Amino acid sequence: MEQITARSEVWRTLERAASRILSTCLALTLIASMQAVEQEPLEYRVKAAFLLNFTRFVEWPASAFSDSEAPIAICIMGEDPFGGDIDQIVAGEVVGTRKVEVHRIKTPPAPKSCQVIYVGKPDPGAPATLSALGPGVLVVGDGDALLREGGMIAFIIDNRRVRFNINQSAAEKAGLKLSARLLAVARSVVR
Amino acid sequence: MLRAIFLSIAGPMILSGQAQIPSSPVALKGLSLEELSQIEVTTPSKAPSKAIQVPAAIFVITGEDIRRSGATSIPEALRLAPGVEVARIDSNKWSIGIRGFGSRLNRSVLVLIDGRTVFTPLFDGTYWEVQDTNMDDIDRIEVIRGPGGTIWGPNAVNGVINIITKNSKDTHGMLASAGGGNEDQGFVNFRYGGGNGNGLDYRFYGKAFTRGPELHSDGRNFDDWRSGEGGFRIDWRKNDRDTFTLQGDLYDEAAGESVQVVTYAKPYSWIVDSNALLSGGNILGSWERTISQGNDIRIQVYYDRTNRHESNFGELRNSFDFDFLQRIALPAHQHVSWGFGARVDPLTDLPVVSGLTFLPLKRTDYLLTGFLQDEIGLVENRLTLTLGSKVLSTNSTHGLNFEPSARLLWTPNDKQSFWTAYTHAVRTPSDAETNFNLSGYSAQAPDGTPIFARFIANPNFAPEQLNGYEIGYRQLIGKNFFIDTTAFYNHYHDLFSEDIIGPIYYETDPAPAHYLIPAQFGNGLLGNTKGVEIAPEWRPLPFWRLRGSYSFLHMNIGKAPNSADVGSAPGIVGSSPAHQATIESAFDLSKTLRLDLTYRFVSALPAQLVPAYSTGDVSFGCRFKPQLELSLVGRNLLQPSHFEYGGDPGPLVGIRRSGYVKLTWSK
Repeated sequence: MEQITARSEVWRTLERAASRILSTCLALTLIASMQAVEQEPLEYRVKAAFLLNFTRFVEWPASAFSDSEAPIAICIMGEDPFGGDIDQIVAGEVVGTRKVEVHRIKTPPAPKSCQVIYVGKPDPGAPATLSALGPGVLVVGDGDALLREGGMIAFIIDNRRVRFNINQSAAEKAGLKLSARLLAVARSVVR
Repeated sequence: MLRAIFLSIAGPMILSGQAQIPSSPVALKGLSLEELSQIEVTTPSKAPSKAIQVPAAIFVITGEDIRRSGATSIPEALRLAPGVEVARIDSNKWSIGIRGFGSRLNRSVLVLIDGRTVFTPLFDGTYWEVQDTNMDDIDRIEVIRGPGGTIWGPNAVNGVINIITKNSKDTHGMLASAGGGNEDQGFVNFRYGGGNGNGLDYRFYGKAFTRGPELHSDGRNFDDWRSGEGGFRIDWRKNDRDTFTLQGDLYDEAAGESVQVVTYAKPYSWIVDSNALLSGGNILGSWERTISQGNDIRIQVYYDRTNRHESNFGELRNSFDFDFLQRIALPAHQHVSWGFGARVDPLTDLPVVSGLTFLPLKRTDYLLTGFLQDEIGLVENRLTLTLGSKVLSTNSTHGLNFEPSARLLWTPNDKQSFWTAYTHAVRTPSDAETNFNLSGYSAQAPDGTPIFARFIANPNFAPEQLNGYEIGYRQLIGKNFFIDTTAFYNHYHDLFSEDIIGPIYYETDPAPAHYLIPAQFGNGLLGNTKGVEIAPEWRPLPFWRLRGSYSFLHMNIGKAPNSADVGSAPGIVGSSPAHQATIESAFDLSKTLRLDLTYRFVSALPAQLVPAYSTGDVSFGCRFKPQLELSLVGRNLLQPSHFEYGGDPGPLVGIRRSGYVKLTWSK
């Protein structure tokens, strides 16, 4: 008798758990059917967070800045895929003693005005080679082809995640020092 | 093993069930480089495909596809690939064919798991019931329709199935699941993985299941199935140049079967329902080294043991395998790959019944291979020519065999590609052809003496030969529609036949005395096959993927001139469907809910007495807590049962409507 009671107690617990799970699933289904599934701007939001992070793991030569107070400027050249997200992410950030700022530019920048350039879809007036963007500039963009054209960090989608590849020799040529941690997180590094 | 050369397709897929990470801009700014690298930014249905660049008919089943489908075994997962003829014989046996020649031990499809060949030279084929791993650990299954002899080795005549498990750096944490239903009566899976954060990662797993019989109209429910398996994998990235992997598995199972047993003594021939006792294990080590930019080598060794005890025979096989591979980039856009390998299989066959014997009982099978391939970029990124050949020799091939191929890939732009290929491939003789004596009881003579027919070992069995011609076209239309089409023409000669080699005679040894019709496996068939495979994929919405496939096959196989074949060709031709079609829908209802629907049609198999059928599967997943997912899977839902393939003695086994519930916990 006791056994039977114990067993039915177990059953009741199982039943309660099952009905809770099913009702949660049902509720989730209802919610899902009522709201449109959100689109995914997440890819560029993550890329924006990476851009901010890069500034913490790259050492610029003093000659890359106009003075010791000058901010680290992340410049988005050409089309801007980030929208306002990147401004929110970068707002208030300080690396070392320098503030981080976001600028949007249409043409190659004046020397010392940009420390990071994100190359979106190229405009007709874009420079033929990315190394022409000058020394002291970290050139970041999408796709491995960028690395062959003189870019330093290329975002790729791997395994449904945003990862990046690095062209270290291009970075060295531009006078930039990339930290070991940045190199370790990269999916591959061209030396 | 050689996957790196030919195809390095989709990257590793995700860990199933990772916890949600906050994704608002402000939350993201606090994350480290490493954390950012772990955020999934696309849904499974958006996984990019690089298949457009491969000059072969390839389809990649991702680990995510398998998880979503609810497949509980590798053969069931293969239904996801277009053009693969998956037919379930009973609860634990399948016939899997590509471009024809479907049979339980398909002699012309090569199967590998992490570079380890699981195609056995015993009968030449793959015992699918012992090819298992933790389904969650499968990174992808590359299915290549058509010959792949140059790279993959002998017996890759009609296709290659290449099962690749995840790197252990992608399986950190705990994953446990359990569930059950009417056919998959109960199963548990467990995995734990971790790493030292400095290039060394590991995982280990264990699983067990019990599966019920399918539907038997005569009530002989022989095909129940129980299995337990465990294994591990360690990956060590020592530095930028050297990577090591060590992995292994052990399994033990009892797979119910019904077999014909034949002896020269009374009662001559009867059927035994019992369990095949199957166990084995393997251990594999590999080392990859980057010598310089564009110059890599890979060395792999493995040991594999299989024990098979059935009611009419048994075999213990040990395989020792070594492979070396180098890939070098040369000037003028050339990529040269070359390699060599050796496999030695000391084995013992166990005599169980007098009607089925191997002679000698103790043998050593071996395989020696070498290959050279050059991929030449005629026009950079636009026109690529791949030329190569394998050379191989086995204990039963009497000399060297070559498997040359030429492949041309034209990608006029990033959205479309044309390819064409010529390939020669061979299927090497098996132990069953060269060392095997198989008797069947046929009748009783008027004086009461039994009459047997016996396939007598044929040491002169020659390799089967294929010349294959393929063309393919792929196009990405807009951003959301992809279509892959292939057409092939295969010409075969020296195909396996069943020959009568002399008049009936009276035999006293083995006793008791009997009449014998002498027969032999020969090379007396030839013919051709042709077909078309179409596989479109459409993503009408970011969270909805539709896939389809249609494949057409026409087989024309017949007797060669002077062949003594008894008429086995219609049995081959009538065992593969002329038409197959599937429609799959993968729908993410929300971030926590998914619904997958599959419909498939398979035309009749006249030689198996299997009528055409269509049926459907449903898989529903609900992540009701970040670490817990409930899935409900229904398979073969459109009728109480249907037939897929013959093969067991007695009436056809009905494949039943089935379903299971599963709970997965991940941390």
